[in-house]
Amino acid sequence: MTGAQDRQRRVVVVRCPAWRPSSQETGQPDGPAARAFERVVSAVEEFCPRIEVLRPGICAFGARGPARYFDGEPALARKVAEAVAGLGYECGVGIADGLFAALLASRDGLPGPRQAPSAGAWPPERPGTQRLDTGRPDTGRLDSGRSDTGRLDTGPVRIVPPGGTPAYLATRSVTVLGEPELADLLVRLGIRTLGEFAAVPVSQVGNRFGEQGLLAHRLSRGLDPRPLVARPPAADLSVRAEFDPPAEQSERAVFAAKALAGRMHALLAASGLACVRVQVQVVCHDGTEITRLWRHDGLLSEFAVAERVRWQLDGWESGAGSAGTPGPGGSGGPGEDGIQGGGISLLRLSPDQLVRDQGRQLGLWGDAVVSDRVARAAVRVQAMLGHDAVRQPMLAGGRGPADQAVLVPFGDLPPTWPAPDGQPPGQPGVRPLDRPWPGRIPPPAPAAVYPVPRPARVIDGSGAPVTVTGRGHVSAEPARLSVAGALPLAITAWTGPWPVTERWWDPAHACRKARFQLVTADGGAWLAFVKDGQWLIEASYD
Amino acid sequence: MAGLFGDGAVRSAREIGADGGVLSDEDLFPVLPALRDLLPHGALQRGSVVSASGWNLLCLALAAGPVLAGAWCTIAGIPEFGVAAAADAGVDPARLLLVPDLGPNWPQVVASLLDGCELVVLRPPDRPAAHLRRKLEAAVRRYRAVLLVAGDWEGSQVRLRIAEQEWAGIGAGHGRLRARLAQVVADGRGGWSRSRGRWLWLPGPDGAIASADDDAAPMAGWPGLPRAGTG
Repeated sequence: MTGAQDRQRRVVVVRCPAWRPSSQETGQPDGPAARAFERVVSAVEEFCPRIEVLRPGICAFGARGPARYFDGEPALARKVAEAVAGLGYECGVGIADGLFAALLASRDGLPGPRQAPSAGAWPPERPGTQRLDTGRPDTGRLDSGRSDTGRLDTGPVRIVPPGGTPAYLATRSVTVLGEPELADLLVRLGIRTLGEFAAVPVSQVGNRFGEQGLLAHRLSRGLDPRPLVARPPAADLSVRAEFDPPAEQSERAVFAAKALAGRMHALLAASGLACVRVQVQVVCHDGTEITRLWRHDGLLSEFAVAERVRWQLDGWESGAGSAGTPGPGGSGGPGEDGIQGGGISLLRLSPDQLVRDQGRQLGLWGDAVVSDRVARAAVRVQAMLGHDAVRQPMLAGGRGPADQAVLVPFGDLPPTWPAPDGQPPGQPGVRPLDRPWPGRIPPPAPAAVYPVPRPARVIDGSGAPVTVTGRGHVSAEPARLSVAGALPLAITAWTGPWPVTERWWDPAHACRKARFQLVTADGGAWLAFVKDGQWLIEASYD
Repeated sequence: MAGLFGDGAVRSAREIGADGGVLSDEDLFPVLPALRDLLPHGALQRGSVVSASGWNLLCLALAAGPVLAGAWCTIAGIPEFGVAAAADAGVDPARLLLVPDLGPNWPQVVASLLDGCELVVLRPPDRPAAHLRRKLEAAVRRYRAVLLVAGDWEGSQVRLRIAEQEWAGIGAGHGRLRARLAQVVADGRGGWSRSRGRWLWLPGPDGAIASADDDAAPMAGWPGLPRAGTG
């Protein structure tokens, strides 16, 4: 924000070790853990409305105003720690001049022997059990009660007095800068602590260590590398349009949405920000409200945002008309009477999860940029048929033809791998292409891969079904193939069986089958397999 | 082997442009060289409807040229679309949209898709009424797109089908599918009413889709591949 440079601001950092940085790097951007942190943020928001979430698990806010209101920094820190502990999460609270020192202080505040661990090696304990039992109010009270009797003054709170930041930092190792390469270099040069690094003249740092070094040097001197970008309260960057009289048709709201999106983008651009998601809130005259989050990634044009509003309204209307229509992903219950129930009185767009605008990002899949025209058509069809109806294919590794591609709903991020263990079947992750996948079907790839294998019958010359023994022998030469009850065709050439045993270590997903390639008299070529005595056609080479 | 058969196959849009010079004409989409003789102007004409006999590698090969040249393509109503085969034909999966289930109101969905993508490969869920068919044809012309129908379409400019085919590399209980020789026959309206056929590798032993009219010699090396005839 403004005016942060003249004097270092007092910053409060609240750190919950339950959210580990590693789970953010490898995992889902808005997974359950990240979303659960919103509870902590809203608890902290009771003390100060402007919270910056640095990452799930760590949030910060300016200390000055709240400290004055809550009778001093120690009292404020204690109250914050109590509030978070009341939710059942362990936390450390640090107050210092500047964000970097406050971050370190919050780490000190955590109970246990954790002296200045590096950023990556964060405590190994999982939040699971603690969160589970303290999720209920009675145990939560128990937890905070324990905190009251014990160590709140000394334990979770660490306050660096005003002006004391350089001294506080001076004895720290250079590894806390979170720049392993730079730290390594500094140690080899004999600079072991931040105090020693801070003593190096700025010009020399700039010459020798470049941009990155300058930034680290600022940190070492107790200066902020950047002013704290406060997480704006919902109204700050959001834009709204009111309709008086209420809009009876969605067209009017969609038209307004385009202009609103333009204003929102201009506001974001003016602050050098982009948003990961945009929240669309529609309030009806009778008070019904639908709120949905749409992924934005700074990529959507005004038109695309307006299309999402249309989609939301259409999904809502059709949801009201026929309950079976799947609404696009997100919460918000469909109203019973749709827009007719009083019309739309308010439309609000709020950017969610602000990030620094790094310029326009290329397409998420390969280097093909999804043009506005294509995105518009895709979203329009999604509006008609549902979010999952439009997909983009991605190649994946695997043995069977169905494994070799993953279809990602348009606009979604590809699923991660490995995930099949925890995920329901049908939502496979993208298996890596660069593994050997021994036993995969040989090229050429079949042009048609049936999402659900088609039942078939294969008989030998005498009319008996062809079977495969446990040792991989065929009972007789296959002579005729009948696919899905169609007329049987003579088999002119065949090869197999190619036995496949997948995931034998996992009884739930284990799969044992024998593959065949069959050529029929009409020139068709099929990829079939036998599983549990049943013939199935999984692909066609037509 | 790859050298023998790869010459006729195309690998990039640049090659198509350099080879035939059709990219300069903005009314035409380039196609794989092996298919040029089968289409009027040796290309897919914007605003036209071309039909192939169901979803197969021929249909995929027809779609490959425009996608290689940078067009976006929607595969509509074909849940069994083989992504790996498309990638082998040179189609960048990142330029594809798949709409496997078009729903009951499919002509409207297809019209929306035509607005966004230059090429729509469609297998109609049912036979469209004449007025819907004409509406879609008008949309194809308006958006200067190409509708490639995997199935029957009464008003199509060109119809392509596989008349004869023979697989190579597979025997009775041995070998595996390696290559297919297919006679593709095209007929259509106007000057294209006289049907013409070409022998294609669909695919060839190296995975490429190439013309097979000129090379009789290499086939001796492939067991189980009698030469079925010449085009």
